[in-house]
Amino acid sequence: MEVNSAATEAEAVSNLFGLYKAEWLHNQLFELFTEPSYFAELANDNTCVLLGGRGTGKTTVLRGMSYEGQFALNSGSTPPLKHVPYVGLYYRVDTRRVTAFRGPEIDEDSWTKCFGHYINLVFCSLIVEFLQWYGRTASNALELDVEALERVAASLNLETTTTLADLSRTIKKTKIQFEASINNVADAARPPLSLLGAPVEELVAAAATVPALAQKRFFFILDEYENFLPYQQRVVNTLIKHASAFVFKIGVRELGWRERGTLNPNERLTHPGDYARIDLREQLTGDTFRQFASKVCNGRLGKVRLIHSDVIERIEEALPGMSEEEEAVRLGVETENRQVLASISNAALQEFGERLTPARLYFTRYWSAAGHGSVEELLADWMRNESQWETRFGNYLHASLFAIRRGKRGIRKYYAGWEVFTNIADGNIRYLLELVHQSFRGHALAGRDVATPVDAELQTRAAQDVARKNLDDLEGLSVEGARLTRLLLGLGRFFNVLAATPEGHTPELNQFEVAEEDDDPELSRACQLLDLAVMHQALVRFRGTKPADNTDTKDYDYMIHPIFTPFFVISYRRKRKTIMTARELLLLTEQPKEAIRELLAKQNRIGDYDLPDQMNLFGGYFGVG
Amino acid sequence: MLAERPILTDVYEHVSEFSPEAASIYVFRRSNEERSEQVPPMLAAGSAVAIEVLQEERFSTLMQLGEEQFTVPLRSERSLAAFWARFAIGTPVYLDITGLSHHVWSAFLKSALAHQHDVMALYVEPADYRYSSVATDGEIFDLSLRTEGIDSLPGFATLAEESTDLVFIPLLGFEGARLAHLLEETEPAADRIIPIVGVPGFRIEYPFHTYAGNKRVLTATGAWRRARYAAANCPFSLYYLLEDISREFPLARLSIAPIGTKPHALGAVLFKVLQGSTNVELVYDFPIRKVGRTRGADRLFVYHVATLAGGAMRGQ
Repeated sequence: MEVNSAATEAEAVSNLFGLYKAEWLHNQLFELFTEPSYFAELANDNTCVLLGGRGTGKTTVLRGMSYEGQFALNSGSTPPLKHVPYVGLYYRVDTRRVTAFRGPEIDEDSWTKCFGHYINLVFCSLIVEFLQWYGRTASNALELDVEALERVAASLNLETTTTLADLSRTIKKTKIQFEASINNVADAARPPLSLLGAPVEELVAAAATVPALAQKRFFFILDEYENFLPYQQRVVNTLIKHASAFVFKIGVRELGWRERGTLNPNERLTHPGDYARIDLREQLTGDTFRQFASKVCNGRLGKVRLIHSDVIERIEEALPGMSEEEEAVRLGVETENRQVLASISNAALQEFGERLTPARLYFTRYWSAAGHGSVEELLADWMRNESQWETRFGNYLHASLFAIRRGKRGIRKYYAGWEVFTNIADGNIRYLLELVHQSFRGHALAGRDVATPVDAELQTRAAQDVARKNLDDLEGLSVEGARLTRLLLGLGRFFNVLAATPEGHTPELNQFEVAEEDDDPELSRACQLLDLAVMHQALVRFRGTKPADNTDTKDYDYMIHPIFTPFFVISYRRKRKTIMTARELLLLTEQPKEAIRELLAKQNRIGDYDLPDQMNLFGGYFGVG
Repeated sequence: MLAERPILTDVYEHVSEFSPEAASIYVFRRSNEERSEQVPPMLAAGSAVAIEVLQEERFSTLMQLGEEQFTVPLRSERSLAAFWARFAIGTPVYLDITGLSHHVWSAFLKSALAHQHDVMALYVEPADYRYSSVATDGEIFDLSLRTEGIDSLPGFATLAEESTDLVFIPLLGFEGARLAHLLEETEPAADRIIPIVGVPGFRIEYPFHTYAGNKRVLTATGAWRRARYAAANCPFSLYYLLEDISREFPLARLSIAPIGTKPHALGAVLFKVLQGSTNVELVYDFPIRKVGRTRGADRLFVYHVATLAGGAMRGQ
């Protein structure tokens, strides 16, 4: 019975963390909603652009801001939305819909007009749906002024409507007719179109005549803005620039906002004049992200504890980490340490070596392997220059950990602890929930008690599994998914060999910049690939040492997204960089074995070290094993 | 019950056993697969009128009838109707979907059914599929070099959907990455994914390959629990299964992704056309096919789709 109960508890914990995508949460989204620190800024009266990668929580926040979200988050209190000064109308930009508005049958100008009309229909539908919902929820059916409704219908080129229900029906019918005309766009028989934004302004103005809504600002919340085609972004940008009765809250991936222009060729959206920019990569860093993540995870643990009271209380306790010195011991430095000590003939040196911590004694071996002298010489030097050695030990210990189990089976480097997990999630709440979920799952499968912390080994295995899962996912994220996967695999193996063979080389070399060769014919292809890799979070980029006013792709420093580091056994810390040419980057996706060999040779390394266990499946791909 | 749901299919154990009806119309395309080359030689000897699709573009197709070459825009009901108007109603029409891409045959089929042509879809099974030599599951660069991205099939764009309750129905093939990509773009709730597996498969082991290829996504979403089955080579079984699912979710929007077998895709297109509902949509990823993805030719099927359409129309 107890086993069953423990299994149920473990399953409950795992399940709650397993729901890490907003769309998977379905009905639990608002129940598990955690307000991030930037929410107040997002909910102000201005147009905001929320910029962040997949999994940074954009959809959850934007849906939380919708009228359905705000109603649910306030426990359905009536009258609805009395506590917020806005009405959020959520709309996810759906690739399947918007890609229908392209093709050679008509020119871009005509597509622009068709798309503008479609946007009018969609936005008016959102407002009408809201008004009908509001009426139902407040048990007080709303009616708008007849003249106002007539103006909306006229503006949309619809037959006259006098009630909200009429308008709703007519818009639906018009959408069906419009669908048929787009499906037969070559037949050039289009229904009358409407002027971009005009009916929406009319309808918002009409809605504002309802006393309960008079003081409320209408927000159009557009999620996944990157799915709009470039000309479509210009259409909506035009609305952003000129709309007066409503504002926008836009969720978009880094590099997904390709067009800042409007339909007026001389006009662009500018920050902060036209919109406020909230960059989640800046918002969700370090302690800010850790605190937010802690609220999210502890909130979920609290829900499980309502039913299973002995579940561990805080996420920080559930995921204990270890110091680097402890890690060195756990990675097994002591056996060889003993052998080395036994081989030292000088008693004073032997005694000094025994007094050193296992990690320090290992470090003398590491330093010796890097060609700085025998272990005995180094121990003697340490005795004489303790402070210098302590600094060296502090600087190089982390890099040296990767060499302890080089070429051996099993875990070669631990990735454990709440702080490490929040670091490798790198501001991405979805990644963090995956790490926690997978850790609890492993804990449960190992038959461990939910009241106890998850062991470092299980956390590391979980981190490897999450990295592998996201590596696999990469293929499906984009039409160029296969190339991104190959790029990541190639870079991963390259940096993996560098990390495993640090002796005598620059430690923790895990970043790169693109060589500045402006006449390189491959540069633009390589930059496109890098942009895609950043957009889909295969890589992260950050300002390098180059002038801050440069915005070219090649002016950034790049690094494998930290979530993948447990899989490739490399450091997640931002440390040192190398230079790669456009040709080398492209070669990684086309001839990976040759490219890796070439890159390693430049670093004076060879790449025939055994792969870590979790990478073995790719042995054929890398030409290893 | 079975009589109400007939499997309107003629099966030929080998392509050589088949010959088109006299004075029929035969629309086909030679793709880069061996199986699409099987029927055309036979046409030369018979009395069927052969219409070859010479070139497929995203929104149009170049065709040849005798010496005449002409282009048919796919997003033009008027042009498609004009194409069918060349032939008298009642003339048997074979639409050989073996070598045609989904976005081409679906447009012609929709129009043929709308104008009540006696259309039959024809399909030749491959003898075998090629597999990846790289040992990673869900390889997108195996059967497809890459995809062109998610889009609607020409003439099948849905802009007037009513329900926000989405039920996503992927008709599974071997390529897990394609399913992953569609899920990424479609974003259904995890408990609203109903994958359909071709069982029995063209070969006895194919359903296992289907599960293996899609394992990651099916596991991550728990969708494997809701899998349904329809014979891989039977559009009608798939059609009836979709009918059942739509009855289970009467208020939902069904988003069907035909990324599995062509007969399944045919069943999905028939369902969309014959149901005529704004709450049924087809979502497709336009794969760019790799040369030599299949080998050989096996059985040939003739699907009497107009007969089903006639029944469906009478039932409406």
